[in-house]
Amino acid sequence: MSEPVSGELPTDRAASSFPTGQLLSKYGLLGFLVANALVVSVLSPAFLKPENIANVLTQAAPLGIVVLGQTFVLLVGGVDLSVASVMATSAVIATGFAATDNRMVPVIFAAAIGLGLVVGLVNGFLVAKRNVSPFLATLATTIVLQGLRFLYTQGSTGSTLPSAFALMGAGRFIGVPVNLIALVVLAAIFGFVLLVSKYGRKIYLVGNNVRGAILVGLPTDRIIIGCYALCSVIAAIAGLFLVGYVGQVDQWTGKGYELDSIVAAVMGGVAITGGRGNVFGALLGVVVLVVMFNAVILLGLPVQVQLILKGVIVIAASAFYLSGSWERT
Amino acid sequence: MSAVTSDPPRTAARQAIRQMPVSLLVVLGLIVLLLAIGVIASPRFASLNNFRNIFQQSAALGFVSLGQTIVVLTGGIDLSVGAMISLTSNFTSGWIDGDPNMVVPVVVGVIALGAAIGCVNGALSHYLRVHPLIVTLGMAAILQGCTLLYSLAPVGKVTDDFEAFAYGRIFGLSYGGLAMLALFALVGVFLHRTRTGNAIYVVGGDARGARLLGISVAWTMMLAYAMSGACAALTAVYLVSRMGSGDPWRGDGFDLASITPVVVGGTALSGGRGGPLGTLLGVYLISLLNNILNFMDVSTFYQWIVQGLIIITAVAIHVEKGRRA
Amino acid sequence: MIVEAKAISKSFPGVRSLDRVDFSVSAGEVRALVGENGAGKSTLIKIISGAYVPDEGELHFDGGNVKWSSPHEAQAAGIHVIYQELVLFPEMTVAQNIFVNRQPRNSLRMIDYRAMKTRAKALLGDLGALIDVNEKIKRLSVANRQMVEIARALDSDAKLIVFDEPTAVLGGHEVELLFAIIRGLKQRGVAIVFISHRLDEIFEIADSATVLKDGKLVGSVPIAAVDRNKLVAMMIGRNLADIYPPKAQEGEVGEVVVDAKDIVVGARVKGVSFEARKGEVLGVAGMVGAGRTELAHAVFGSLPLDCGSIRLVGQAVPKPSPTRSIAAGLGFLTEDRKGEGLFMLLDLAANVTAPVLETVGESIWLDRGAEKDIAQKQIRDYAIAATGPQASVANLSGGNQQKVLLGRWVISSRTALILDEPTRGVDVGAKVEIYRIIRQLARRGLAIIVISSELPEIVGLCDRVVVLCEGRKTGELAGQEVTENAVLQLAVAGRDAMSAGRSA
Repeated sequence: MSEPVSGELPTDRAASSFPTGQLLSKYGLLGFLVANALVVSVLSPAFLKPENIANVLTQAAPLGIVVLGQTFVLLVGGVDLSVASVMATSAVIATGFAATDNRMVPVIFAAAIGLGLVVGLVNGFLVAKRNVSPFLATLATTIVLQGLRFLYTQGSTGSTLPSAFALMGAGRFIGVPVNLIALVVLAAIFGFVLLVSKYGRKIYLVGNNVRGAILVGLPTDRIIIGCYALCSVIAAIAGLFLVGYVGQVDQWTGKGYELDSIVAAVMGGVAITGGRGNVFGALLGVVVLVVMFNAVILLGLPVQVQLILKGVIVIAASAFYLSGSWERT
Repeated sequence: MSAVTSDPPRTAARQAIRQMPVSLLVVLGLIVLLLAIGVIASPRFASLNNFRNIFQQSAALGFVSLGQTIVVLTGGIDLSVGAMISLTSNFTSGWIDGDPNMVVPVVVGVIALGAAIGCVNGALSHYLRVHPLIVTLGMAAILQGCTLLYSLAPVGKVTDDFEAFAYGRIFGLSYGGLAMLALFALVGVFLHRTRTGNAIYVVGGDARGARLLGISVAWTMMLAYAMSGACAALTAVYLVSRMGSGDPWRGDGFDLASITPVVVGGTALSGGRGGPLGTLLGVYLISLLNNILNFMDVSTFYQWIVQGLIIITAVAIHVEKGRRA
Repeated sequence: MIVEAKAISKSFPGVRSLDRVDFSVSAGEVRALVGENGAGKSTLIKIISGAYVPDEGELHFDGGNVKWSSPHEAQAAGIHVIYQELVLFPEMTVAQNIFVNRQPRNSLRMIDYRAMKTRAKALLGDLGALIDVNEKIKRLSVANRQMVEIARALDSDAKLIVFDEPTAVLGGHEVELLFAIIRGLKQRGVAIVFISHRLDEIFEIADSATVLKDGKLVGSVPIAAVDRNKLVAMMIGRNLADIYPPKAQEGEVGEVVVDAKDIVVGARVKGVSFEARKGEVLGVAGMVGAGRTELAHAVFGSLPLDCGSIRLVGQAVPKPSPTRSIAAGLGFLTEDRKGEGLFMLLDLAANVTAPVLETVGESIWLDRGAEKDIAQKQIRDYAIAATGPQASVANLSGGNQQKVLLGRWVISSRTALILDEPTRGVDVGAKVEIYRIIRQLARRGLAIIVISSELPEIVGLCDRVVVLCEGRKTGELAGQEVTENAVLQLAVAGRDAMSAGRSA
């Protein structure tokens, strides 16, 4: 509780943040992860086997990539519910070329990135220039994309892909999953940009106080649209990795990724109202989720337990990490 | 701009219309537009029977959207309604399992369960200070997991006259549709004419201010989410009545579907503004839309696109300069 | 005595906010509570009103010993605090706001709107405020919103009303209205505590004053027993020779830097022209609502111009925008610190460097070290009471936050600086520093534009004054012409008959 400031309303006496909040919020999630890993590896030694860890991380990589993009949008004060739809549409585009020749890979990438750009620009435009709530704007694009996608596929599955995709999505390079390498590289680039570049600082400024950002001369509309565009492009790329991993695209592709990406980021300390957090925390959130899923399977618990545990962890992690951040009262 | 002399006497009706927000008039306008399109689209559209069907079918979306409205008015959101519908529909048919004596206790019990879980949502959100978006998402996972633990496939059955809720009619209007209307009216009165109901608007307007004025934000939140949970359970009961059995995936998609009528009807996601009347119109608007698209033989795929465009349009109209929907 | 606080002490982590302070106020008395920011006024009020529990000491109310368990309990007993941040709900009507937690009910326990509106009308009528009870709060002026809060306090049979910096957002005319209401409350036997930094207002309305400094009681005196200088001396512990630095001399003022012609912004600014010159401090005076802030935003480029032209440093600016203005060396310290100025989740350094980010480090990478140095310099130069460049701005007092913002704009402004209410909510000691900085900047060659609702400040600080009234420029004063009388006359010139009788 800080010293009161003249002219201001008193903050509620009874509402104080968790006493251990400060320490927990810095190391809580990491500590939780480590503790979790220890417990699981004791109960099921299979957990720490390199093969298992590699598998776990391969499965997690597409979500991790999406989360990178979602973090940018969250930081700037928005949300992007369309990432799952973009992933799926990108996957459809990949199989839609019906090509097996690896020379088509750059073309497919270009097409996917183009898709991401278009959707991202539309989202960003609606939010920044037309003042639509991000929730609704991205919900609307999700639905529109969904319709377009179903129209094209008519519900059937596609599985024609150049062989490079299998390598991308599920292959290994010196034992390390390729998509994980991609994730790490992307995370390093974007994390670095956010923390050390001027552009990154501008994103935090806009997320903190849009009006204030305008008044210090920042091109807020461009920055916001840029974040949405970046998020969709990253989601499109994630979709390519996903379809590479699964080998085909169907109506379930990407399902749940939008909410999972938001949840993982928030667990990792990215404030849902914007202006706080970074990609490393968000990725930590992904790892926690994924380790937990894996633990459930290894321990032989029914799949339903996975869901329940996920819910509990999401709420608990958000409470600890963000104690006091949702300043409703 | 600041000082206005006391207003001349007006009739109650004129004052009511004058105070009706623009957003409601817009939705009404859209409904009229759709009616016109429907008449052009197909001769069978403008039949009494068709309208009765629309009235009946709107009940499912109606109940859950009503609950969502209350939550959104407090400035929050309830993304657990889908899982709640799945859970309660599963329990309903599972617990009744063809025994007519169980019908009433189970229905009451299931609605109470919805309220209780909703209450937990509100409490977690308030006391743990976690955004309701996250809390209800987490709860949705928990509920879905529990549902699947109970059964992975549709289980149990309901009695034959359970259908009455969905299919039974009085004066040609379905019980379900009438019940929905009645509930909307009841909630509307509750929100406007009782202190507890009004507190929902107050908390949605400025929770900190509400607290300072002695209004318990905690209780208000818990009440709002409890009502949302109960409404979701009602939707589940209705759907069980319509389909004849429960289904652990019944609620899939209802989270976002329940928000559409709320937003289209002019209730702001930021809280403190709007109400059930707008949502009711929004529900009818969407039901009307689906009905017309069916008549036009438009494939389900296009329907998605059109829904998305409707959201954007309605939102764009609601938004004033510099204000968010 | 209605309220008596004896030997109240309260500490927060690292800070002893109040140290054995005595305070009392009686029915029908207007007691001013004065002191610099951080002196403990806010804490004392929060203890009296039930928002905080004192560590030591006793509180007596209406004859009995009390220990409030919540602000609501204190309210129910008749203690009301009207904060600067009003507790109102913009989407609800005036009547609904007044009764927002105590709606009248009929026999069916349903809210009785008719009774609510009748009672609301009566309350507002008692206060002499002509406000439509069906109007939504968001459409009301700040002054009228304050009335609504006062009405709410009145209805709950207030015995003590605390006004926490009520005049900071009011213009001269509205302040007079407020004072009339306060006098009315006095007559009814309500005890009033009045917190303000504006000394002339204190001398006008208060019967007595209690001065706090650094959490300790300096003294409680009847107003008749002191004069301005004595009061200020009590507040800051030393004598204040000159509050305002000397004005610009002939020859110190150079060419025109900001040239605005025929500016029209909606219905708020109706064709205003003015010039600001290098080396001078130009004041922009007028009542709240005269359009000064909108004019400033239009010149800076943060509000669209409907009509008019702007030249900065001799160059025409066809489409003004904050980006272009900042590039031309123009800065703007806005009125609304929290909403428009500060980045609450970021640290002091980030707040200070925000407009000049591009220059902190060579390339696209931010040089954190350089940023720290810049912030460190600001902290030293302006004596900002913060733990360092990485301090969170949210924890700073209002005055210190203002210094951070001032520091920000001083760094980034090379040609001109607009300051909108630069000393709002800032204590006397800090005000003097800010005035000094402003004059220093002018001497360095900037054109300074100061918007202020405080007449003494306008007269004491500015070389020239432009006066607005309801969107139009009613006059310009320079040199010896700049007197409080002259400014006030121009500020109300041409207003409707309602205010005609209130010339200074």
